[in-house]
Amino acid sequence: MEEFWQQVVTGIATGSVYGLLALAIVLIYRSTSVLNFAQGEMAMLTTFVAWSILQWGEYWVMFPLVLVIAAGMGAFIERVIIRPVEGAPVLNIIIVTLGMFAILNNVATWRWGGIPKGFPAPPEIEVTGIRFMGEGALDIGPTVVSYHDLTILVFAVAIMVALYVFFQYTPLGLAMRATAQNPVASRLMGIRVGRMLTVGWALSATVGAVAGLLIAPLILLQPPMMMGVLLFAFAAAVLGGLDSPVGAVVGGLIIGVSENLVGTYTPKEWLGPDMKLTVTLLIIVVVLLIRPTGIFGRRAMRRV
Amino acid sequence: MLKVEDIVAAYGPIVALHGVSLEVPEGSIVTVLGANGAGKSTTLRAITGLLRPKSGTIEFEGSRIDRLSAEEIVSLGMSHIPEGRQLFSELTVLENLRLGAYSRFSGTDGGSRLAQREDLSPLGRLQHKLFHAATGGIRDVARGIRGYRQRRQDFEAALNQVFDYFPILAERKKQIAGTLSGGEQQMLAIGRGLMASPRLLLLDEPSMGLAPMVTREIFEIIRAINKSQGVTILVVEQNANLALEIAHYGYVLETGRIALADTSENLRKSEAVQRSYLGQ
Repeated sequence: MEEFWQQVVTGIATGSVYGLLALAIVLIYRSTSVLNFAQGEMAMLTTFVAWSILQWGEYWVMFPLVLVIAAGMGAFIERVIIRPVEGAPVLNIIIVTLGMFAILNNVATWRWGGIPKGFPAPPEIEVTGIRFMGEGALDIGPTVVSYHDLTILVFAVAIMVALYVFFQYTPLGLAMRATAQNPVASRLMGIRVGRMLTVGWALSATVGAVAGLLIAPLILLQPPMMMGVLLFAFAAAVLGGLDSPVGAVVGGLIIGVSENLVGTYTPKEWLGPDMKLTVTLLIIVVVLLIRPTGIFGRRAMRRV
Repeated sequence: MLKVEDIVAAYGPIVALHGVSLEVPEGSIVTVLGANGAGKSTTLRAITGLLRPKSGTIEFEGSRIDRLSAEEIVSLGMSHIPEGRQLFSELTVLENLRLGAYSRFSGTDGGSRLAQREDLSPLGRLQHKLFHAATGGIRDVARGIRGYRQRRQDFEAALNQVFDYFPILAERKKQIAGTLSGGEQQMLAIGRGLMASPRLLLLDEPSMGLAPMVTREIFEIIRAINKSQGVTILVVEQNANLALEIAHYGYVLETGRIALADTSENLRKSEAVQRSYLGQ
């Protein structure tokens, strides 16, 4: 039984990373209907930048710096690469993001090389005797949780709460939701629609960057590191419903947990851990058969 | 207050307006009548910058606006309540109203910020723009802090005003806009337009899809908005009867051209209008 809980907790932690990256995908999809295939590579690149900064700086100096750089990169990509193809057929935009995928991958290999690097987890912090983050594991009764898994959870929850507050209670967040729903009416309200899209990309890249920083200690830093994560993140986004932020997170958790359980409990004669991708995708197919728009997705009917 | 002169507008190769001119004096209600496809909505879209006219000029309170963007024009004090209402149907009533007041809180102060300096040379204009880009952010923040409380009060006042006109909206504050009845949705659309405290209100077919009773109620409120607040109103309508009842002046639009222009009293008596639009 301990092993079971162990796998569930680990699954929740990796699932939150999938959820974060899925959230990044959904943030862009909701406002622009663009499926950003380069989302994972953007996160990979910012993680490399983080690694470089760590060569001369503290972790907690690097962290906010990387978030700012990520936001800048997201805004830059929207303005320079995505804006010109806005209004083009969907397939064209997808090809553009796939091209970005390849370019960012090559840039990382060219600048930092292909050899996997270790990446540190956030260092230990002690607040009034209670320890957060760092090395080791915490005994929580039925099982133990590594401090890094806990860190991931804390960050994921904090980001989701922050995004919820931002979209629900600030004028800018409200304007972004309005833009996603009805761009023409938004312009009549005096909202600069283009600027909202830029902010959306910046926000998305920032959330993705956090996902990259959190997953890198678990899977080593190297150019193709986000490919698997991106696949699961896409699956999570589709499972939850592509236009639902809550769905992205829930989808991520479901996939993270099921991936871990399938990897552990599939008998050897059935290929063991190798089955986890297959079974996970099978779950998605079944859910989508029942609810084609995902668990939290809205019905695909749209008034034009 | 608003002066449209000889505008030509087209959707791609299809010309929708062949030189339309009209004038809206301050404090008045002016109506534009016409059949489906006559170019009524297009005229409004050209005025608020959703569709850039190919030629002709549009003046609002003495300054040209035909080259500004829709976002800038809104912040000059003009609200456009579009055809089909265009509510944010998945947001609540209150959120829709908050969005109506967005131009108060954003930095888009079209008048002072992005003034078109036609008097400068191209190089001078570039310098002007660069200067504004460089200093704009700082000034936005400063203005934001200074004026926040004032704008907050203005917002509350505008909200109360809207709830005075449409008490039903106050009751349904938390309801999702898409679940309102047709009449309530039109009220919300007008309320949202009023949240920016416009001096000129452009209304596109407020009667569309509504029962006669509800339509009459809405027209009474439009008249009240004009009377009590002095908001100038340009209303485009198919229901000529009601529109001429509240308007001071009217235009008849036929296939992208102004066919008739007169006081509403004279228009009501005119044989052509009676035959085509009043069904007599």
